[in-house]
Amino acid sequence: MEDGKLSRWQMIAITVLRVAVGWHFLYEGIAKLSSPSWTAAGYLKQARGPFADLFKWLASQPNLLANADLITMWGLSLVGVLLILGLFTRLACLGGIGFIVLFYLANPPFVGYFYSIPTEGSYLIVNKNLVELCALVVILVTGSGRFAGLDVILHGLFGRRTPSR
Amino acid sequence: MAGDDEKVKKTPQTGAAGPRKLDRRDVLKGLSTVPALGLFGYAWHRQRQYQQARIEEAAAAPVAAGDVQEINVALLGAGAQGQVLTDAMLRIPGLRFRAVCDVWTEYNQKRVVNSLKKFKHEVNAYEDYREMLDKEKELDAVVIATPDFWHSQHTVDCLKAGKHVYCEKEMSNTLEGARAMVTAARDTGKRLQIGHQRRSNPRYLHSYEKLLGEAKLLGRIVTINGQWNRALTPDLGAPDRYAIPEARLKQYGFRDMHQFRNWRWFKGLGGGPIVDLGSHQIDIYSWFLGVNPSAVTARGGNLYHDPATHEWYDTVMTVYDYDTPVGPAMAYYQTQTTNGSQGYFENFMGDQGTLLISESDAHAAKVYRDPNAPAWDTWVQRGYITAPKVQEVKEKAEGVTDVRESVSPDEHKVPIVLRDPVHQPHLQNFFDAVRGKATLNCPSEEAYATAVAVLKVNEAIEAKTRLSFKPEDFTI
Amino acid sequence: MDGTLELGESRGGRDVRRFTHEAMATVFEVHAVHPDARYAAQAAQAAFELADRLEGELSRFRANSDIGRVNALSAGGSTSVSPSAMDCLVIARHVFDLTGGAFDVSIGTGLASLELDADNFMVGTTRSGVRIDLGGIGKGYAVDLMAELLEEWGLDLALVHGGFSSLLALEAPAGLDGWPLTLSDPADPSRVLARLSVSQTALGASGLRKGDHIVDPRSGEPVRRRRGAWAALPRPVEARAGARADQGPRIAPAAVADALTTAFMLLDPGEIEALCDRNPGLEAWILLDPADSRHGEASLLHFSGTPQAPPPAAGRPQPE
Repeated sequence: MEDGKLSRWQMIAITVLRVAVGWHFLYEGIAKLSSPSWTAAGYLKQARGPFADLFKWLASQPNLLANADLITMWGLSLVGVLLILGLFTRLACLGGIGFIVLFYLANPPFVGYFYSIPTEGSYLIVNKNLVELCALVVILVTGSGRFAGLDVILHGLFGRRTPSR
Repeated sequence: MAGDDEKVKKTPQTGAAGPRKLDRRDVLKGLSTVPALGLFGYAWHRQRQYQQARIEEAAAAPVAAGDVQEINVALLGAGAQGQVLTDAMLRIPGLRFRAVCDVWTEYNQKRVVNSLKKFKHEVNAYEDYREMLDKEKELDAVVIATPDFWHSQHTVDCLKAGKHVYCEKEMSNTLEGARAMVTAARDTGKRLQIGHQRRSNPRYLHSYEKLLGEAKLLGRIVTINGQWNRALTPDLGAPDRYAIPEARLKQYGFRDMHQFRNWRWFKGLGGGPIVDLGSHQIDIYSWFLGVNPSAVTARGGNLYHDPATHEWYDTVMTVYDYDTPVGPAMAYYQTQTTNGSQGYFENFMGDQGTLLISESDAHAAKVYRDPNAPAWDTWVQRGYITAPKVQEVKEKAEGVTDVRESVSPDEHKVPIVLRDPVHQPHLQNFFDAVRGKATLNCPSEEAYATAVAVLKVNEAIEAKTRLSFKPEDFTI
Repeated sequence: MDGTLELGESRGGRDVRRFTHEAMATVFEVHAVHPDARYAAQAAQAAFELADRLEGELSRFRANSDIGRVNALSAGGSTSVSPSAMDCLVIARHVFDLTGGAFDVSIGTGLASLELDADNFMVGTTRSGVRIDLGGIGKGYAVDLMAELLEEWGLDLALVHGGFSSLLALEAPAGLDGWPLTLSDPADPSRVLARLSVSQTALGASGLRKGDHIVDPRSGEPVRRRRGAWAALPRPVEARAGARADQGPRIAPAAVADALTTAFMLLDPGEIEALCDRNPGLEAWILLDPADSRHGEASLLHFSGTPQAPPPAAGRPQPE
């Protein structure tokens, strides 16, 4: 098992990281779900960078936008719950990474880009989105869910048939 | 909570799953992060409660405002100043406009009635204030912005009719008139606020109470200077088609339309720029020093305008003497109407610092610490003033015994931002006082003392000599 | 922009009096025909005082202006504003919708988050950080109101402008079809692009000098699509002083023209053409940058929704 390479304390630290990232995702999702007027349109309209046109096009399509809003709200919440529970951890990590990549690309802090809305903090290429993405990569490759999380139980249930035989 | 449920559900399953792969230790590990979800649920619940409470609070606020006893108001005098006061009053909750009275029924009266209509105040319009007082029985308060020479009669009659009165400054163009107002307020027991609106301005109140009162930032104030310079403008005119018939003008004490529009310049009607403008600021001199002046010297004249059309002085320079409890002080004031250089401000100079203050945002308020004064760090920490703008100190290259060319004092800003029209706090104070929830910031006695000090300037110019005040001049 | 719109040589010039006043970081002028110099000066002064009062209500640089208070709102907050500020915000939102967001007084900070209650003169916001700058509309609005005031005073033969970027022509001096105006190249004011003769017409002008950019509110990016843009709107009879019922929204053609020119700096020619088609009487001119233009020279495109005949009140452009 992968976790054999890491010490117990290292795994605990990564689990804490997983729960924290999951918490953040869950709240981002829940907060959007509970705000009736929330839509990604504003964020998408302000998109810049290499894929700006794509995002802006998305914002201008009401049907697609409604779907994108739903996917974002529920997706973020689901990824958050899964990360906290440590259930389907790898899938959740990949999902989370997908979301963050989209957010990052919509407003990348590239050289020469400035924003009409002042953001807190100062970023160049690396912003908090990217850091959270890296955290998810760490969780993904260390299989944190199988150290502490419902994946342990799943692994136990289904693992009976596989390596032990 | 959620974690417990999970445990109950899962445990039997895991028990059946074979001990080899899934022992008790694994189950515990598997469920170890579930409580985090419970914690999230709890935090989310608290957050929702907090938001809900805030929403309810916000929703409750207007209800509370509705509880406020509604005050029925009339505007007497719908000229430029009356319109400024109306705009400010429209922002004050709990007022119901009932009537507007102005002799210029063709123009100003109509304009104010229309703008009140936009805000859903259905008002009756009157030309004669006595008719208004007769018919509008339910009026609680009258806001008076008529020419100075009408103030006394209007105010006294309104007070005697049982109305509370907010009257623009100058209280009156004569001291007899001003005295009658004070007496009427005393006799009727009604509130009479005079429109020296700086007395309710948060910037001035903060400076008076905190900077001068509590922190004593300036030390002993020895000198003051202040000014209101106004750029040259043509005389006020009126649209031809809305001219007032001559008979009505005469009835209300005006020679012609020109005098009606420019009454401030005429003897017997107004007091000229020193009274129109200076009164606001000389009022602050006495308020901040805590004493009335002991003497006044003044020069003035019609340096630019034709005395036939501008009877009062277009330029005035004056010096007041004060005997304060901590020693003598002297204050300079100038007003002129040919050049607007530096606008208007009051500058208080003490042995430890300087306060430059103005109703205008162009100057706002700044305090400068004398380099030898005790540190002001405490007051910066308490938020009374901002941290100083760092002044560059030029040091010689050798640096050892640098002789600094007179160090400029630290500049601190007074961190008070007024977001309302400048007259609104003063009107708010008046209506609060009407409701018995505040005391007047400028009761007629205070304004009378200012009228005594200011009207004396025109006398001193004419007398070409220094005129003294006796303390009893300021009281009734 | 100054210099892109100029009052031409007025053949009736001997009667036209001119008054000047600084407000809203620009120079306002009243040109009017009236036999009594003193009376005309007093009327102009009343108009200038109106502009000063509007600046006090509309300037974002004043903490206690209506816009200053709106900009200080946090999510869920609301404030009462003057009828003038409400008019400007309502017009601004209308032009925002009309131009697909190319004219945005919030410069991308979320105009949609503002809740305008025009009946009660209340402005609320659903989110913090919305920043309104009426720079692209306030001058035009002031010009509209100043013109109404001049009409009240009986100065019907008059023209008002704010820094020549917003202009309203009332009736022309006797003997003229209209007030003579020129559109000229912002990069080279001596190069006259078109001559107009207008009355009862509002005109707006925007222009960029060498190296200037404007920020596209839709993308937040600085762009330079063209050198100049002008918009003209006929002034409806209902906008004239006294003609309007005192209730209901004000008709403010100069404010609209002012706002539209800002958008015309950004919109594609096709979009401008469509806009002109949908709004009879609206005319637009854009000056393309040489780089965009086929012949290497800055060329002027003219759009007019009524190709058959120009609207009676608007001017006829006569290309140089």
